[in-house]
Amino acid sequence: MEKYLYIALFAPLVSSLFSALFTATPKKQFVGIVASFLIFSAFVSSYILLGHIMDGGEPIHVEMMTWMATGNLYIPFGFVVDQISVTMMMVVTLVSTIVHIYSIGYMDHDKGFNRFFAWLSAFVFSMMILVMSDNYAGLFIGWEGVGLCSWGLIGFWFHKDIATWAANEAFIMNRIADLGMLIGLFLVYWNTGTLQYEGAFAAFAQLDTATLTWIGIFLFIGAMGKSAQFPLHTWLADAMEGPTPVSALIHAATMVTAGVYLVIRSNELYSLIPHVGLFIASLGAFVALFAASMALVNRDMKRIIAYSTLSQLGYMFAAAGLGAYWVALFHLMAHAFFKALLFLGAGNVMHAMHDELDPFKMGGLKKVMKWTWIMMTIASLALAGIFPFAGFFSKDTILEAAFAEHHMVIYGVLLFTAGLTAFYSFRLVALIFHGEERYKIFGIHPHEAYRFMLIAMSPLLILAMIAGVFQAPFFEMVEEILGAAEYHIHSHVTLWIMLVGTQIFVGLAILYAYKKYGTWSSVPDGSSKMENSFIYKLLYNQYYIPYAYEEYIVKPYNEISEILWTKVDQKIVDASVDGIAGFFYSAGENTRDMQSGNLSTMLKWMVAGIIILLSLAVVFGLAARYSGEIMAILSGLGV
Amino acid sequence: MLDHILSILIFFPALAGILGFMIDKKSIRAYGIAVGFVEFALSLWLWFAFDSNVSGMQFMENLPLIPSFGINYILGVDGISLFIIILAAFFTMIGIASLTKTKNEKNMIITLLFLQMTMIGVFSALDAIVFYVFWELSLVPMLYIIGAWGGPLRIYASIKFFLYTFAGSLVMLVGMLFMAYFFYQATGTWSFAILDWYRLILPESFQLWLFVAFFFGFAIKVPMFPFHTWLPYAHGQAPTIGSVILAAILLKMGTYAFIRFSLPLFPDASVFFMVPIAVIAIIMIIYTAMVAYAQKDVKQVVAYSSVSHMGVIILGTFALNVEGISGSVFLMIGHGVVSGALFLLVGVIYDRRHTKLMSEFGGLAHVMPRYATIFGIMLMASVGMPLTINFVGEFLSLLGFYEQSHILTLLAGIAIIVGAIYMLSAYKKMFFGNITKDENRELKDVNKRELLALIPLSIITIWLGIYPKPILEPINNSVEAVVQLMHNKSTTVEAKERIPNVSGIVISKTSTREAH
Amino acid sequence: MEIGLNHYLILSTILFAIGLVGVMRRKNLLLLFFATEILLNSVNIAFAAISHYYGDLTGQMFAFFVIAIAASEVAVGLGLLIVWYKRHGTIDLESMTSMRG
Repeated sequence: MEKYLYIALFAPLVSSLFSALFTATPKKQFVGIVASFLIFSAFVSSYILLGHIMDGGEPIHVEMMTWMATGNLYIPFGFVVDQISVTMMMVVTLVSTIVHIYSIGYMDHDKGFNRFFAWLSAFVFSMMILVMSDNYAGLFIGWEGVGLCSWGLIGFWFHKDIATWAANEAFIMNRIADLGMLIGLFLVYWNTGTLQYEGAFAAFAQLDTATLTWIGIFLFIGAMGKSAQFPLHTWLADAMEGPTPVSALIHAATMVTAGVYLVIRSNELYSLIPHVGLFIASLGAFVALFAASMALVNRDMKRIIAYSTLSQLGYMFAAAGLGAYWVALFHLMAHAFFKALLFLGAGNVMHAMHDELDPFKMGGLKKVMKWTWIMMTIASLALAGIFPFAGFFSKDTILEAAFAEHHMVIYGVLLFTAGLTAFYSFRLVALIFHGEERYKIFGIHPHEAYRFMLIAMSPLLILAMIAGVFQAPFFEMVEEILGAAEYHIHSHVTLWIMLVGTQIFVGLAILYAYKKYGTWSSVPDGSSKMENSFIYKLLYNQYYIPYAYEEYIVKPYNEISEILWTKVDQKIVDASVDGIAGFFYSAGENTRDMQSGNLSTMLKWMVAGIIILLSLAVVFGLAARYSGEIMAILSGLGV
Repeated sequence: MLDHILSILIFFPALAGILGFMIDKKSIRAYGIAVGFVEFALSLWLWFAFDSNVSGMQFMENLPLIPSFGINYILGVDGISLFIIILAAFFTMIGIASLTKTKNEKNMIITLLFLQMTMIGVFSALDAIVFYVFWELSLVPMLYIIGAWGGPLRIYASIKFFLYTFAGSLVMLVGMLFMAYFFYQATGTWSFAILDWYRLILPESFQLWLFVAFFFGFAIKVPMFPFHTWLPYAHGQAPTIGSVILAAILLKMGTYAFIRFSLPLFPDASVFFMVPIAVIAIIMIIYTAMVAYAQKDVKQVVAYSSVSHMGVIILGTFALNVEGISGSVFLMIGHGVVSGALFLLVGVIYDRRHTKLMSEFGGLAHVMPRYATIFGIMLMASVGMPLTINFVGEFLSLLGFYEQSHILTLLAGIAIIVGAIYMLSAYKKMFFGNITKDENRELKDVNKRELLALIPLSIITIWLGIYPKPILEPINNSVEAVVQLMHNKSTTVEAKERIPNVSGIVISKTSTREAH
Repeated sequence: MEIGLNHYLILSTILFAIGLVGVMRRKNLLLLFFATEILLNSVNIAFAAISHYYGDLTGQMFAFFVIAIAASEVAVGLGLLIVWYKRHGTIDLESMTSMRG
């Protein structure tokens, strides 16, 4: 079994290095094919490992070699395949296989075709390290690795200023969170003496609540950055500047869920500190609503999907915070499927529309892009949580969990957000695929994507439809490790009312979206009443948060840096050094007149010197002679 | 031969340098590379013969110079100094190999060989006077390199460099003399041998004064805030090779001396000054990172980033536990490799465009993809990406200091944020976007000679990031001995608490000689 | 009134002061030599007087030394002075500023 672990882990690395060999050469089709094949082999290995774990096999634990060892610290490159990591491995390898194949078509005409696969596979490798590591330090390797790859992929089209800006923003914002994560690691090490999950979890039980709370908070700060939780969320929407397959893989299915994975992985920690868990759940619910509200009015197709991702991450955190770790993990998995599908569909649309992103400039595309239309509709249905698609099973369970745990506010917020989700998802679908063909105004001739791209997407389509059937076996598998409880609502009547009520509520939201946008005929020009309302502007400008960051953090940072350099460093620190040197220099400069070369002047100085020396000799002689009296006088003066 | 390998390592380049005057101008480069290579091979042999399980000094040599004053030519290496010596030999070799055509090439190479002698001398000397002599001698070749091959402000920069560091060293010399005097008072014999000094337990009040005296010499060399302003000038004006050696090796003298002198000689004072020095280190980290962000000149960005990273090294050193000090020693190696490589990279573009202003570049990734890739690797190493060499050192340094102070470590950890800010924005300005200047359209990518230096550095950067054990293990053993020594020597209650007891066996105090 | 040690010392001091003022004020090299001679001789007087007072001949011996040195100094100095005069036609101190810093 260890063989499969190594294949799953290192096939992406081999793929990345192989593609990297060709970065300087023109596009080679086989690079994409080989990379896809290697990632596929990682997927197959993960699948075999999943089978092993599902059959009740022991978790596989390997220790490759020492990484860092000094003092009492010992960090190996250790990897573990257990119920949690195997789930993540499946999600990661499946979605990345599909994205790799899809990218062969999507990046067809791009100069950086080979480079793209090098980065993409490197990302998969980092993600595999992240989920498979058996210690926090290894997780941190993957954590930073995915950050690096995300930087390289967001800024993939590096000639675009906005893309590289977004890449830097993502990297730096993640770094802020990583500091929290790092501090969390330090706390774990100094309190438990190890960074291995096993040892640390075993030691957590003996620690006092205050320490555990701090550990929980700092680790969660790390999770907030990667999973783009408020207030570190702005990078995710900006990250949409990257190629669409990247958005599908990194910014929907895998990397952004790393934060959720961290909380699930540390479930033994968070079960000990339910108050932190409640905070996480509340923040998650808040973000769910907050992000959904921004998605309502946005006019950028990819950003809408990004906000929906953010919103769904909020759901996952809400579940994880309430202790329903398996529900969070299940939603993570289901979400990966339908959200990746949605993004890839959006990629097809973008290709067809020559990189146009405003859904208001599309419309009626279902005639030319039938399959994309079907896929995106089903993905949106799954996202909205309509029975019997994947989202129904995962998202509704979160609602049930919140209800069963008696957190009615969280439940209410999440329920309301479910309606919003349905609305903005179908607003997007309606605007793109229904209504009048507004794209004709812009002279675009859309076309359906390559057939193999559609075929590559089809596994996601199937999974988005049927992922619900995995709920029971999944629960059985993770039950042991996540200490899972099924969330039964005691009365069957209540349960049915909830289920049906939610379905009706969501269905109404979908119908409303279709009614409002299904027959849209014009491109808004900013003159309508709604567009000038305060709420619309607030939401459209993302609550002015990016503006505030720019204005109150970025600009002051620039200015302070400038001041520190030109004023403090040059005018104070360096000037005082030069001042000391200048003092000696000018003292020399001024006293050189003494050295006039005139014998008479020099003799005068000599005489002056003799007189000073003589008088000093006299003064000290007297002082030594009368020291007793002088002391007496001084002490009389009270000195 | 192994008995005298350290003397050979020190004086072989110097002798070769003297012989170099007789070599023809045309073949001097080949000669220099050959000497550098032999020296590097010797240093590798030293590593090979080094027993990493021994924590104490190895390859000791002892030759009386002025026996009546206890001044002896004592050499020796342990895990702390071994790798810096190898690094010095390595950088001199690739520095000569990748040297661009300059005027007076012969003088440059001979100067570099003399510089190598002084550097290896500093890191292997175990007698304070011998240490001091090499320490000061190292200024002379550097002064010459900056002053003769530097930019327009070279005279100002070189004199500033020389006088500033020299002034600090003088205070240090006074400290050394006092230390020897206290030793004489306590034992009745004169000795400048560092290992003898290690056995002397000083009262805390003496320690404080001596610590301050040594601190001036070391802090200016590091350079610590607010004594850092000579560094940007020196880097800004020095030729590429000068900056590379300065950043990679010369700065490490200061931090190395902290570990060799300040910590084991003055454990109580080290604990006493831990918080103030940590605050200075944090100021170094954040303040210089912000200053680096405001720079227009890419070489200045790297220069200020050096100061910022040295702050982390100082912090790790004053963690006073095995994790922190091992991390700081490892980060010395890591920072040497990475900042040396970054200066070489800046030199690459400077040779082509004769400007270092970032506004003159932009979109270089289009025309110089290999250059952009190597720069990217070094950039990521510089911001402390895991699996690169710098991460190991930074992680351990911060981890070590976390035991001493939580809040200060949190502040120091901002290094990973601000570091990313200035480095990424510099990278974006240089490499991303479209090519805006016509001069940049025809730039040639890195050539073979430059790759000769950059490829090994890239390999080391990643190799030691993934597998730091070969270096970390000997470092760890020697650092454990240092920490144990400090724990045993410390007299105040606070110091006993702060400095961990590594082995758990406390050597009884009566066996050590006490001053007064 | 008997002339005692104090009187000699006072004379010596006065002569020394005169010599000192001469050293400071004179611009002519020759006169400067005179002033130095006065300084030296004032010391000689003090030496001789104190030697007599203590009955110790060391002081007088030193006085002879000083006289011998003064003589040789004048011999060398006057030689240089004459050379200077031949070159520059003046022995004014203001003309000798080639050692200016």
